[in-house]
Amino acid sequence: MTTTSSDTEQVPVAAPLVGRPDVNRKRMARLGWGFTTPSLIVIGLVTIFPIVYSVVLSFSAATVTGNGVALNGFTGSNYSLVLSSSKWHYALGFTIIYTLVTVLVELVFGTLIALVLERLTAGRGLMMALLLIPWSMITVINAELWGYIYQGTYGVADAILNAVGLGHPNILGQSTPAIIGLMIADIWKTTPFVAILVLAGLVMLPGDIYEAAEVDGSSGWSTFWRITVPLLRPTLALAVMFRVLQAFGLFDLPYVLTNGGPGTATTSLAILGYNVIFKNLSFGPGAAVATTSALLVLLGCLLSLRTFRVQVGKED
Amino acid sequence: MGSRRYPGQGRLNGRQITAVVGVAGALVLAGCGGSSGGSSAGGGGGGGGGATSSASGSATSGKIVWSASPIAGAGATDTRTVLINAFEKKYPNIHVTLTSAPTNTDTNRATLATEISGGSATPDVFMGDVIWPAQFAAHQLAVPLSDYLPQSYFANFAPGLVTGASYKGKVYGSPLFEDQGFMYYRKDLLSKAGLQPPTTWEQLESEAKTLVSKNLVKYGFVFQGASYEGLTCNFMEYLTSAGGTATNGDYTKATLDSPAAVKAATFMRSLISSGATPAAVSTFQEAQAMNIFGAGNAAFLRNWDYAYSNATSPATGKLTTSQVGVEPMPAFAGQPTPGYSNIGGWNMYINPHSKNINVDLTFIKWLASDEAQTILATKYSEIPTTNSVRNSPAVKNVNPVLAIISKTKLVPRPAGTPNYPALSTAIYTNVNAVLAGSQSPAAAMKSAQSQASTALSTSGGGL
Repeated sequence: MTTTSSDTEQVPVAAPLVGRPDVNRKRMARLGWGFTTPSLIVIGLVTIFPIVYSVVLSFSAATVTGNGVALNGFTGSNYSLVLSSSKWHYALGFTIIYTLVTVLVELVFGTLIALVLERLTAGRGLMMALLLIPWSMITVINAELWGYIYQGTYGVADAILNAVGLGHPNILGQSTPAIIGLMIADIWKTTPFVAILVLAGLVMLPGDIYEAAEVDGSSGWSTFWRITVPLLRPTLALAVMFRVLQAFGLFDLPYVLTNGGPGTATTSLAILGYNVIFKNLSFGPGAAVATTSALLVLLGCLLSLRTFRVQVGKED
Repeated sequence: MGSRRYPGQGRLNGRQITAVVGVAGALVLAGCGGSSGGSSAGGGGGGGGGATSSASGSATSGKIVWSASPIAGAGATDTRTVLINAFEKKYPNIHVTLTSAPTNTDTNRATLATEISGGSATPDVFMGDVIWPAQFAAHQLAVPLSDYLPQSYFANFAPGLVTGASYKGKVYGSPLFEDQGFMYYRKDLLSKAGLQPPTTWEQLESEAKTLVSKNLVKYGFVFQGASYEGLTCNFMEYLTSAGGTATNGDYTKATLDSPAAVKAATFMRSLISSGATPAAVSTFQEAQAMNIFGAGNAAFLRNWDYAYSNATSPATGKLTTSQVGVEPMPAFAGQPTPGYSNIGGWNMYINPHSKNINVDLTFIKWLASDEAQTILATKYSEIPTTNSVRNSPAVKNVNPVLAIISKTKLVPRPAGTPNYPALSTAIYTNVNAVLAGSQSPAAAMKSAQSQASTALSTSGGGL
């Protein structure tokens, strides 16, 4: 205690200040590692170990028994099964298209909402609170609510579409409407997340550039495309990365709303993996589905990070 | 960001939990394998079996956990609660704790498979679907009851039920109650329109259309058409009636690419295109179909045994007993009537890791007693599984559903293979695609055939 207090008292003194921060930093670093070790061990146990274990599973002729999972030696057949499966091909295509569409739409809507919010002087807090409602809702509950809306005999969406002369579209019972229905539920829920991220980016942009632009007589449109968007790129890249990570793991919406149907129209990679592991109890092939999905999404993220770095380099 | 959902991670978590629990379970079992592991695997014979061989279901005290999905009733009339209370009255020193399992049978299985393969000692006993024995036996997720209970115990059940609960010569499930498909209809609406209860599918379709066009009812015929296990049950009824099968007898070949299968799928689709059935049926599970019928909005319903009491009890339905009739399933025109009812129902299984096998057996034996079976039959219109209660005139008088059991023809699902889940997925996803109108019946049956063949080859892995 005494040392600490004398440290703080000595801060204004010039001479020892040169050496001190280094020593302090090292000591603080040691202390920091000491404090974080227990939680790192827990994280290692519940995150890293299972990830490694599922990779091991994916290379094993694993069988489920009453006494846990028996690995039964190395095999590559799980991956050849997955890569040659038409179900996997469809799920991969569906997941990629779903990810691209939802992320793009959420990015556009989120940015527009953020631009409006930034200009709001009164009521910004209230608007943000309202925006957060869909975002803070538990996804399964969100999915159940959309299930009521889409319900084919008494659902609100069905009634509205019927009232405007579109008949009974049976939204979740037909392939394309079901896919669009899932996308709408996802976009409704996660656009606020993008909006708030982008808003944070907007607020941080330096005001003098905008003043300079105004002085130079730049129009709002060209200011947006030539100043706001380039400066927002790091934020947008971050938003894209977060969203791609989440959208690619699409599970809860189709699980609740369609069970992967109609037919297999909304069977995402995660649903397929779940079915293989938990319905058929095929842990090897299921782990291979999970591992390939993880690799693909990792690749996607590395690509988006790379784009992000390149863009920052250009700005510099 | 803590409150964000991470669907991807949600999936990972499932795996993480399985992996961690699995390893923890393995470690625990390595440590005490002599006692708990041995008692389940060893069964009748072997080493430390002193306690094991005496486990015959004659316990008088203990505590067990029972996992069961909702059967019928709610609150104080919940079937499971009523059964537990009656059991505890007879065995005051045994305490049964209920774990309410998910209503979706697939979710229920996933939960149990994860818990049991992870080495969890609870639930001690679980109520499981009749289609599980092969898979649960092949993966050692259930105790072979025939190692503990004598042949005379299994002889009490109606023929076929014990065979369905067996795999490779051992019995894994003790039948709790049987389900089968029934055709429920609105007596009042049919008599208003001057129609007879249908005996053929074609008649059902035309009567449904007539009732809807006369504005007597909003929808004609509702059933379970969503992309899930229940659709396999429904499809098996049409398929068998059309003269088809899903696989050959020893589960080595799929037989879905047949004219009979195409006929069945074509007819199911025509129910929708002709307006006899709402298009939304392709999203209906039991609850949605039941709700529509129970609310008085459909003339015909294909459902299980519970539908009669569900539709006519004020807590769950709007109809009265004078409005609801029940008949065996229709057949296709030209086929002998009645058609086929798919067998559903639930068995009692024991978790191999249970520490209270003797108490488990006591509870299971009581559930097969006249007292418990009579509760199920008279209070909830579930079909009893034991011969004595099935044939009791007192039970038959209670409920029209129970009175027509002797008239129905039964067809099981092709569940004698451990790969049944993938086989069933091949059936229901493709039939659902037909109902949704996204695939032609012929193309759908072709793809069902190829997926079912993959499913039956042991290396398919459900992909």
